Amino acid sequence: MTTYRVNGRGRVNTGKPVTFTFDSQTYQGFEGDTVASALLANGVHLMGRSFKYHRPRGVVTASSEEPNALIGTTRAGEGRFEPNTRATMQEIYPGLTAESQNKWPSLKFDLGAINDRLYMLFSAGFYYKTFMWPRSFWDSVYEPIIRKAAGLGKAPTHVDPDIYASRYLHCDVLIIGSGPSGIAAALAAGRAGSKVVLVDENSEMGGTLLSEPSVSIDGQPAWEWLEGAMAELDRLPNVTRMTRTTAIGYYHQNMIGLVQKLTDHIADVPDGAPRERMWRLRAKEVVLAQGAIERPMVFDGNDVPGVMMAGAAQTFLNRFGVLVGREPVVLTSHDSAWYTAFDMADAGAKVVAIVDTRNEVAQALKDEAQKRGIKTHLGYTATGTKGRLRVKALRVNPVSNGKAGDATHLSCDAVLVCGGWTPSLHLFSHTKGSLDWDPEAKVYLPGHKTEDVHIAGAGRGLWGIAAALEDGAKAGAEAIGSLGGKADVVAFEVTADRTGTGITQKELPTDRSAGKAKAFVDFQNDVTAKDIRLAVREGMRSIEHVKRYTTNGMATDQGKLSNMNGLTIASDALGKEAPQVGLTTFRPPYTPTTFGAFAGYHKGAHFEVTRKTPIDSWAEEHGAEFEPVALWRRAWYFPQAGEDMHKAVARECKSTRESLGIFDASTLGKIEVSGPDATEFMNRMYTNPWTKLGVGRARYGLLLGEDGFIRDDGVIGRMRDDLFHVTTTTGGAPRVLNMMEDYLQTEWPDLKVWLTSTTEEWATIALNGPNARKLLEQFVEGADISAEAFPHMSVVECTVAGFPSRLFRISFTGELGFEINVPARHGKALWEKLWEAGQQYDICPYGTETMHVLRAEKGFIIVGQDTDGTVTPQDAGIGWAIGKKKPDFVGKRSLDRPDIVAPGRKQLIGLLTEDPKTVLIEGAQIVDDPKQPKPMKMIGHVTSSYWSESLGRSIAMAVVEGGFDRMEQTLYVPDANGTPIPAKVTGTVFYDPAGDRLKVE
Amino acid sequence: MNAPATSFDAVTVTILPPVARFNLRIAPSDLAAASQAFGLSLPTKIGQGEQNADRGAYCIGPDEWLLHAAEADQQAIVAAFDEVRANTPHSLVVISDRELTIGITGPAAAELLSVACPLDLSRIPVGGAKRTVFDYAQVTLIRDGEDAFRLEVWRSYFPHVHGLLEVATRELALGL
Repeated sequence: MTTYRVNGRGRVNTGKPVTFTFDSQTYQGFEGDTVASALLANGVHLMGRSFKYHRPRGVVTASSEEPNALIGTTRAGEGRFEPNTRATMQEIYPGLTAESQNKWPSLKFDLGAINDRLYMLFSAGFYYKTFMWPRSFWDSVYEPIIRKAAGLGKAPTHVDPDIYASRYLHCDVLIIGSGPSGIAAALAAGRAGSKVVLVDENSEMGGTLLSEPSVSIDGQPAWEWLEGAMAELDRLPNVTRMTRTTAIGYYHQNMIGLVQKLTDHIADVPDGAPRERMWRLRAKEVVLAQGAIERPMVFDGNDVPGVMMAGAAQTFLNRFGVLVGREPVVLTSHDSAWYTAFDMADAGAKVVAIVDTRNEVAQALKDEAQKRGIKTHLGYTATGTKGRLRVKALRVNPVSNGKAGDATHLSCDAVLVCGGWTPSLHLFSHTKGSLDWDPEAKVYLPGHKTEDVHIAGAGRGLWGIAAALEDGAKAGAEAIGSLGGKADVVAFEVTADRTGTGITQKELPTDRSAGKAKAFVDFQNDVTAKDIRLAVREGMRSIEHVKRYTTNGMATDQGKLSNMNGLTIASDALGKEAPQVGLTTFRPPYTPTTFGAFAGYHKGAHFEVTRKTPIDSWAEEHGAEFEPVALWRRAWYFPQAGEDMHKAVARECKSTRESLGIFDASTLGKIEVSGPDATEFMNRMYTNPWTKLGVGRARYGLLLGEDGFIRDDGVIGRMRDDLFHVTTTTGGAPRVLNMMEDYLQTEWPDLKVWLTSTTEEWATIALNGPNARKLLEQFVEGADISAEAFPHMSVVECTVAGFPSRLFRISFTGELGFEINVPARHGKALWEKLWEAGQQYDICPYGTETMHVLRAEKGFIIVGQDTDGTVTPQDAGIGWAIGKKKPDFVGKRSLDRPDIVAPGRKQLIGLLTEDPKTVLIEGAQIVDDPKQPKPMKMIGHVTSSYWSESLGRSIAMAVVEGGFDRMEQTLYVPDANGTPIPAKVTGTVFYDPAGDRLKVE
Repeated sequence: MNAPATSFDAVTVTILPPVARFNLRIAPSDLAAASQAFGLSLPTKIGQGEQNADRGAYCIGPDEWLLHAAEADQQAIVAAFDEVRANTPHSLVVISDRELTIGITGPAAAELLSVACPLDLSRIPVGGAKRTVFDYAQVTLIRDGEDAFRLEVWRSYFPHVHGLLEVATRELALGL
């Protein structure tokens, strides 16, 4: 096989050959190669097909902005396929399997390329125009076809088996980019003793220096100097260098997201090794040294494989030792590409010609070209290419007065293009720093800064290695200065520097029909110059609209190559200066980033916190089904052999009402409200009056928002004059504590009262049923819990089974009930003791579903189920919980608002279906007349609905407009099929309305 | 006995035995009374700690302290503060069972914590403490030495936090 490797060039390890496959064919490269450089060394330019026209495409760049050479890679192990890997960034390793994308049946012969022949149909906005009519075709024909054709590469089908890591990091100075300016900044800041982090997305540091070995710094060849600089940075204990690390986003207050690739370049990945790590780095100062991105030129046929960036060719030659062609033509408007021609010629290529759109270039360049026998064409344009799978010739014409003259064909095997350089300002733009337009250089440069950031080198429009080094050192010193330190001035002596200038331009002038030119602006999305001009003709005025209409810059490379050319053409079409047309917004991430890197450790068992109570393991051992409640998992019901949920819940309800049930209530929120002003604070927070609640007594507490709507509720016990044990709903605990703290700190800082969450200090066990006291009293010491001494709604401190306890007599079931709070570590032991001793009463563990049924039978509401944030205490039928004589409480004033006291509000009522066996669907809408014309008027919805085993029929609660005035009315609720079910409006207390069952002696 | 959970040369993660733990809220101007009741001069600056034998006090808010003592002393400490309360209002809440404590020691201790703790750990002085988060969980970090931390986390968040520490310890051991 022909090799394009050049002896004595490049930094790859020629002592270590590496074999890999691309489209099932085996290739050899060397350690240090990327897929792109290794394929180019084998003479392969064709690496993929374009997105829309399926045109053959070759590699264009040597770096992360690559728009064309996107491949699928498969790493060892199931499920490790990745689409759209950039061949220019993926390092090869033994066994790597790579494949091209977007082709069928093969890369060289692709049927999808029919689109290319039909290109006149596929102009900008064609989706919007073509698929509008007939409307009925959209769902059945157009959308499925578009979906099938859309996308680049195959989506992975397996669950990602890899591990992704995360880390936080703090430093004084973060330097992004390790070219000359980044290194100089790191040396300046590192020598000053600051904590410095230097990152680069490439596998080795050096940036431009890796592509420019002929430059000499401080009397040393560039690579020797680079090695010395790296060694010095590594010797400094305060400097960290990270390669293969991309700064993906610049967030507020100098928080930068970095994604470090850890194992994608390794053949034998250690077991359990993370694939990538997301660093969340907070830097006091940031130096952006990201350099500039070379701009393509826009002309007919500029996307044929073999047409690529001149700077990339130079990188492939000098860093990887690969000639991208033996007979290249250089097409440029910047001096930099002249040096590419010289390097190529010096490495043995026969450079056909240097074609420059400028009329004048420096005499020194012309002399160097002449010395090497390279023809030069100044003031020329390029108007076409020959070749389909690989460029064979470039068509060029002299330009005079803006008109292209007669064409000549330059036979070649590569066209190396440079249309100027664009400072890389993506990360700076993430900070919302402003960009200033430089009308001379026709580039955007960093303007007003919003963060502690410094931009150095080519990123702010400078050119040449001496300038970059000097500017980097200055930025490093400035960063140290901002930190209050002082950095020594670092100066560099640079010889053989390749300084230069250049211009940028719109699409090149042509002697042919511009309307038929396939002059690509965005290679990945197949956007041409005529698409952009069409968008302007059709009324797009802002570049943001042009972008969306043409999809220019919307591909995975995010317009790194196409944005500025697109803007130049659009502003030309509009006859305006570029800044008046705008610049599209850069958003994170800088380059495509895996979902895994964002997810980090949050997968499998660590996807989300699952809070478990101290008694959870007992429930699991006893076969409980669980349900999530906020972050908690709670025992839902305890099915016995052969039972479904319905049967299990019916049995649990029956056992509890007839004898004894035991329930894990540990998740209830608990707040200790303590201090001499505790009573005053409670009076202000809750609707209820607390002043007269005696020590040792408990009361239902209702919490409203400022708007008068129910926020939370719970039973509150008075432990001392100055101490309340407040309980909240399970999900409401953090919210209620925050709300209380908010009022305390901002409204009533004068109150001497303090709040402490004790939710997790206590395990809480609820015993309910006529035998509850019989079981409990044998365990209680230090308190008399007889009916007389310890009435309903009491609390006492005592010991239960020897454990210190806060014991409540309360009931959320309507039965005789107790809630025993013990220090959390004893929760399970107490449960087991009660369980064992309770066997004589056929004690029944029940879950949240039975709890819900039992409370619904009594008409007790659940905040968030029977209320929805628009329900007042009166609406819920619990106006009795409002302290009528209290001067104020949170929400009191809102309860007098006209719309709150107006008739016809939705009110909580009971519903009994005519057929007692029918259970309504929770959430179902309610109408008063099912025969009214559609759309019918909905007057409310079902909030709670259950089968009540105790009553032998279904029960439901609902919020219904003017519900309290509809007693005995029949309303209609649809079943799952939409058939109206008649149900009669009742009160909400279905079971034991007199409350006799609490009075067990 | 400490139960070693996970360890390699550079870091050891241990579940520590329970202590008597209190949340103390008191006006800073009344701090002397609390210091006297607790038998330790309470620190006055957020993040500072004070230790003597098995007593420890850490200032974690403008009027908030975390107190540690031997388990056997819990009732006596509650009683001592009860005495003070009539004249010096405050709130002393026993939270011995609310949190579990994880010990993280070894040269890579801070690195291990940096997996999910956003604080700049180098700024926690030895002997100090900070209330912060570890992944989704609120935690209090106490620094006992350059290479020694205690992490206190609410009981129900413990499996999540401890599990992440185990995953990260394996990751650190790989050295990648």
